[in-house]
Amino acid sequence: MSATATRPETSYLLRKLHSLSGIVPVGAFLAEHFWSNSSVLVSGPKYDETSQGLQTIPFRLFVEWAFIFLPILFHGGYGIYIWLRGESNVTQYPWMKNWLYTFQRYTGLVAFVYIGWHVYTQRWLTHGMSTYSEVAQQMRNPWAFGFMVVGVVATSFHLGVGIWNFLCKWGLAATVRAQRAAGQLGAVVGIVFSFVGILIVVSFRYNWHPFASYLTQK
Amino acid sequence: MAEGKQVIVKVKRQASPKDAARWEEFALPWRPSMNVIICLRDIAEHPVTREGKQTNPVSYDSNCLEEVCGSCAMVINGKARMACSALVDQLEQPIRIEPLSKFPVIRDLTVDRQFMFDSLKRVKAWIPIDGTYNLGEGPRVSPEVQEKAYPLSRCITCGNCLEVCPQVNENNNFMGAAIFSQVRLFNMHPTGAMHAKERIEAVMGDGGIEDCANAQNCVKACPKEIPLTESLAEINRQAWKQALFGWLVG
Ligand code: FES
Repeated sequence: MSATATRPETSYLLRKLHSLSGIVPVGAFLAEHFWSNSSVLVSGPKYDETSQGLQTIPFRLFVEWAFIFLPILFHGGYGIYIWLRGESNVTQYPWMKNWLYTFQRYTGLVAFVYIGWHVYTQRWLTHGMSTYSEVAQQMRNPWAFGFMVVGVVATSFHLGVGIWNFLCKWGLAATVRAQRAAGQLGAVVGIVFSFVGILIVVSFRYNWHPFASYLTQK
Repeated sequence: MAEGKQVIVKVKRQASPKDAARWEEFALPWRPSMNVIICLRDIAEHPVTREGKQTNPVSYDSNCLEEVCGSCAMVINGKARMACSALVDQLEQPIRIEPLSKFPVIRDLTVDRQFMFDSLKRVKAWIPIDGTYNLGEGPRVSPEVQEKAYPLSRCITCGNCLEVCPQVNENNNFMGAAIFSQVRLFNMHPTGAMHAKERIEAVMGDGGIEDCANAQNCVKACPKEIPLTESLAEINRQAWKQALFGWLVG
């Protein structure tokens, strides 16, 4: 028995990194993304203004890869590895949190595929200069619109459950009471994100800008 | 035998670790406050299947018959639970009795739970007080700590929390909730705390706390109502603190 320095195994650190990366930067980026995109709720030009501001940030490629693409690839890839190590038994034990365990895997997969498509069509094909009219154009296709809604809801759900998981798994919500509160926080995040996300998508498809009056106010 | 009320029991049997499993059905005379262990004893007394075929007694583990020894965990009607506290009158019939699926079957319902005992050894789930001289009295434990420690000390290593955990399977070596709860118990004790770092180190190894995915089935299946999810959260916190600050501040 030697009470020497602690050397946790790599897999421990990777797993911790997986859990953390879901919150920052991936979850934080999602919040930023919804926040910026909700400019469309004011008007198309306002959206273009906001997205141009983001499209012209300094060190753009570095920021995108370091804080968005690589973290998502890692989180999704390692997430699949985690999935393969587990064996869902929700049919035998249909308990609420066991359902969340199972859903978390499927919503993660849907979100991952969806994000891949989303980045391909709106970041890659547009050379990173996507505009309101291009997104609106894409949303006119009912399949793209449907996939967008599914993707937004799956991603939001995954983040909501993920916040609860994160708080439990880092021992930040350690008591049963705190874990219940963490679950409520996750539920609120999941619902609010789904709601705002759907509003944004609907805004593009129907050229509907509920906050347009902001522009005319003195 | 008088034609009274009957209890229909189906037992999943397996003659040896290598043999294939098969089901046998028994019809037993009902008695008041019968539990699953009594059913198995009745079968042993009169090992004849429902179709009248002679068979041998079912092999199973049990000892205390009051949910404290932890030896009688089985899957009863699809749920992991203690056979000695599974009352026949509260179970749907035919009662299906299977061995735990996460441990190797030795014979019938007897499984080998050595994995749990090995895990307890890995995390040093004890307080080392042996020495070459008298160490004197240990430090006092505050009532506050006692109150937290007592529920954890009730663990009977039955294996139900492993049985219901989606993360415990042949794809990994996840040790299961009970083990981490014991780490918490011994790290909480003032003498045990002297080896807290070693326990946490083991917890960050293969099959350690990282594999917990928060399905929280363990706490629902625990017959002793141990706050397992709180233990997991607590050990998770101790682990990342040690991982992060261990090399930073020692
Ligand atoms: S016989 Fe001891 S717990 Fe059931």
